[in-house]
Amino acid sequence: MRKSHPIRRAVLAGAATVSGIVLLLSLKPASNPAAASAAGAAPQQTAAAQESPQGGSGAQRTGTRTVTGDVAATQYGNVQVRLTVSGGKIVKAEAVQAPKGGLSDQKTALAVPRLNQEAVAAQSARIDAVSGATYTSGGYTKSLQSALDKVKSGEAKGGSAGGSSSSGSGSGSAPSSGSGSGSGAAQARTVTGKVAETQYGPVQVRVTVSGGKVTKAQAVQAPEGGLSGQKTALAVPRLNQEAVAAGSAKIDSVSGATYTSEGYKQSLQSALDQAGG
Amino acid sequence: MTTTLAGGRAARRQTMRRIRPRRSPAVPLLLAVWAGAAAVIWLWWMNTPSIAGTGGRILNAGRITGLLAGYLMALVVLQMARVPALERRVGSDRVARWHAMSGRYTLCLVLAHVFLIMWGYALQAGKSLGDIVQQTIDSINQLPDMGKAAVGTGLLVVIGLVSIGPVRRRMPYDTWYHVHLFTYAAVFLTFWHQITTGNDFAVEPLAKTFWYGLYGAVTALVLWYRIVTPIRLNLKHRMRVEAVIEETPGIVSVLIGGRKLHRMGAEAGQFFRWRFLAPGMRFSSHPYSLSAAPRPGLLRITVKAIGDHSARLRELEPGTRVWAEGPYGALTAARRSRGKVLLVAGGVGITPMRALFETLPGAAGDITLLYRANSTQDLALWDELAKIADERGARLMYAVNSPDGERPDISAESLRRKIADIDRHDVFMCGPPGFAQSVYEALRGAGVPARRIHHESFEM
Repeated sequence: MRKSHPIRRAVLAGAATVSGIVLLLSLKPASNPAAASAAGAAPQQTAAAQESPQGGSGAQRTGTRTVTGDVAATQYGNVQVRLTVSGGKIVKAEAVQAPKGGLSDQKTALAVPRLNQEAVAAQSARIDAVSGATYTSGGYTKSLQSALDKVKSGEAKGGSAGGSSSSGSGSGSAPSSGSGSGSGAAQARTVTGKVAETQYGPVQVRVTVSGGKVTKAQAVQAPEGGLSGQKTALAVPRLNQEAVAAGSAKIDSVSGATYTSEGYKQSLQSALDQAGG
Repeated sequence: MTTTLAGGRAARRQTMRRIRPRRSPAVPLLLAVWAGAAAVIWLWWMNTPSIAGTGGRILNAGRITGLLAGYLMALVVLQMARVPALERRVGSDRVARWHAMSGRYTLCLVLAHVFLIMWGYALQAGKSLGDIVQQTIDSINQLPDMGKAAVGTGLLVVIGLVSIGPVRRRMPYDTWYHVHLFTYAAVFLTFWHQITTGNDFAVEPLAKTFWYGLYGAVTALVLWYRIVTPIRLNLKHRMRVEAVIEETPGIVSVLIGGRKLHRMGAEAGQFFRWRFLAPGMRFSSHPYSLSAAPRPGLLRITVKAIGDHSARLRELEPGTRVWAEGPYGALTAARRSRGKVLLVAGGVGITPMRALFETLPGAAGDITLLYRANSTQDLALWDELAKIADERGARLMYAVNSPDGERPDISAESLRRKIADIDRHDVFMCGPPGFAQSVYEALRGAGVPARRIHHESFEM
């Protein structure tokens, strides 16, 4: 039955907690908040989206080409990044391959759209890993770096780049993701919807259509920063899943992210209109 | 008049038990709690590769405090689930002190979490600390389950406020207790936003499963031990007031009859939480120790009329139905590690000591009871104590104030003088906090190691 000292105990507990948290935070590497300011990349993405091909001819005209990075093997599967480069700038990044199955599906859905945005925003492979998808992020960064290297070497050779540079035939509309290792490539194509403006920022959806079915939906743009970033992270993966499941724009809004959901649906509808027409 | 409840068969059986000290599971439990906290921190660590800017730092401090608060919240509720391992092995008093301590700490973490997260969001959105109120309102309106979380947090703050010492002392115990029950609602309301907005649970389905598991297990334990177990106990034993007996002025014994009461598993030194289904008493339950080893058809509690509730016990009609929860408490023979035992009772603290005096295993001369009271008239249950001492060959001593009001001398020296080998005794003690503290110091001075002084204290 020791004497208790409530004040001393409270001060000790408080000091220990604060110093523990400060220690934990200081042990984590600091990163450039470039990802958060990806808003600056929006115009480029929009440009990319407009050029984003039904056929390759439009892309050819503006000197746009795609370069695919090396496959990076991770613990959960392969990651491979394809870049669309226009006027020396990355206007679009996408994952041709990413881990699949069970848990990995969710993580990929969560991480890849963010990594794509970050790559366009940073114009380099110095991008932040997505928390919870560390391995995928690492593989993505590796493949991205190799794609960037190819872009550079391609420029040095005067534009006749190696890699899988798009020739402007039908293959410009190659699959943008998933297992698309070539077999189903002919039927699959990606269509990007119109930008839908919402109160918190623009939303733009890209769908991959294969054999008349929506096989993938992703947000090329979504509200960023602070609370909006939180909501995007919360809503977009779900909306993507719903869009694929429904195969139409008749999907449920994610509660708490109504504006983003509405914008998503609008852009999705426009993408589906284009795909159908 | 005195009631003599000595010589029951159950009591005799208890005196025959061998001495085998049982360790309190407190240390392994505390280690498990710390390991869980480390796992929660690790979850954050694995899901956070890097931190961007001041906003990111603040936000991540908010995430850490939030995760820890969510984890501790489950444990705070678990501490009050009346799990037998906690109530009977660690001791109800100690668990209640843990509950108070961790409850305060968790509330502080919750408030820090709210402040840091909102500040972090504001900074990331390019606003300043001044916009934190607007940021909070926006978050409540826009993020899923945040409205519920806000209501829950408000409830927690109210519960925290009424638990502050001075406020609590001015409040009737029943009011305080019923306000406290809102904790369950608060925990329920704040749970959902952890799952729907918590980054770590969104990206780590395994963590989400564990979180559901933690809260699910705590809910199950609360339902089982606070609701199902008492219902089964009372349906089985069907207790009623048999008689109320005035022992000394101000101290009454209540005899409680029922079916197979020796099968309740109650040991000498333990208590039940009693609820008497009489007008004005049915909504409050109070802990009173058994003042005799249970007999097949009879339990006895002995209570000093200090509070509102205990004063009303005197007017209980025989036949009144009794709702009991228990047995609880760890001040039992299992704590003992030595052959020789000193029992120290102050005032009505005699009740558990009386039961132990009768049932603690020991040869003649092994057991000593020291009974402190204001005067010889206040020595409740004295006659039966004398009878037990006689039958068992135990020593019985009392210390009362002298006629001029001078307090008896209970010091290291006087204790050593009376009991020469006191440092080789286990000591069980029950009495008012001031008395217990001074005896504790005297015992330590007389050479009794702290680990052999067994005491229950319900002071926070």
